[in-house]
Amino acid sequence: MTTSKSALHGIRTSGDYFISTFLFGVMFGIAAVSVGLETWQALLMCATSFTASGQFAALEFWAAPLPFGTIALSVALVSSRNLLLGMAMTHHFDGHSLRRRIVWLALLNDPGVVNSFRMDAEVDRLGYVTGYGISMMTSWLLSTYIGLNIAHLVASFDLGAIDFAGPLVIATMMMLFARGSKSKPLPWFVSGGVALLLFEVGAANYLILLGSVLSGMVVAIWQTRKDLAATPEDSDGDNDG
Amino acid sequence: MGITMVDTSSTLTAIAMMAGIVYLTRMGGYFVGLQLRHIKGIQPVLEALPGCAFMAILAPAVRQGSVSEIVAMVCVIAIMWRSNNVVLATATGMAILLFGGPYLDAL
Repeated sequence: MTTSKSALHGIRTSGDYFISTFLFGVMFGIAAVSVGLETWQALLMCATSFTASGQFAALEFWAAPLPFGTIALSVALVSSRNLLLGMAMTHHFDGHSLRRRIVWLALLNDPGVVNSFRMDAEVDRLGYVTGYGISMMTSWLLSTYIGLNIAHLVASFDLGAIDFAGPLVIATMMMLFARGSKSKPLPWFVSGGVALLLFEVGAANYLILLGSVLSGMVVAIWQTRKDLAATPEDSDGDNDG
Repeated sequence: MGITMVDTSSTLTAIAMMAGIVYLTRMGGYFVGLQLRHIKGIQPVLEALPGCAFMAILAPAVRQGSVSEIVAMVCVIAIMWRSNNVVLATATGMAILLFGGPYLDAL
């Protein structure tokens, strides 16, 4: 499948998360008004950052004088999973120029990556993820614009109850990922267990993320080595997708 | 979050900074992966990482969740397990948070 057809396929299959993103965008628009962001500023932030969780994190600290360091750290921590998403796609973006990969990586997005693992091998992954990203970006901008314009109507409505919507959306992505990925689940359970353990001992959020992902990675390496030892004739493990 | 107006230049600086950071995380992981890809058997390890990151976020969120949040999470997982319908799962979860919260959290 060509890159453009794969991109269209990404757009076509993004309906579910288009709607989920839309809900978040409306909420972001409302939140942006509450901290005094103007319409063009909020839309500029959406178009350039394109990260729901990172933008919500930044708004938590949006007051004069802006604490740039705190905002930078919180956005970096919340967005750190992008590092892992990018690493997961290492073997799947081959066949494209470096310039294209550098530019199109700006649209790397969680649901696009997660769903790309469920696609047939002939689908071009970079095109698919980018198409998915274009759809998500459209939803994000449209819904934020709506949120900015209806904020005055819902000013008295308590939106605190839907703070947990973020983990719910991540749970849907985890379920899709679990079904589409060829990875064994043990590293994920170990990561979850270690995250709980670190949470219980009061570790900082970045330590929880770092510690749990590293422990999951160690388990994944151990599993892979065990598999390689069991099937030495199939030990390349670098089959480009 | 109270309304404290931030001047335009600070806003633009912060937006540019955020965009740069997010883009670096998107690009950084991919290029780190490119450096590691020659290592035998690295692909399954890299492809396990997003699941690890999702679990690292989900486990503490559920642990500190209220009754309604845990019920919403269980419903989302059950609906995804049965139907793989993201919209139905998310809408159900959010409906439980919005309308069931006051009742469930009072239990």
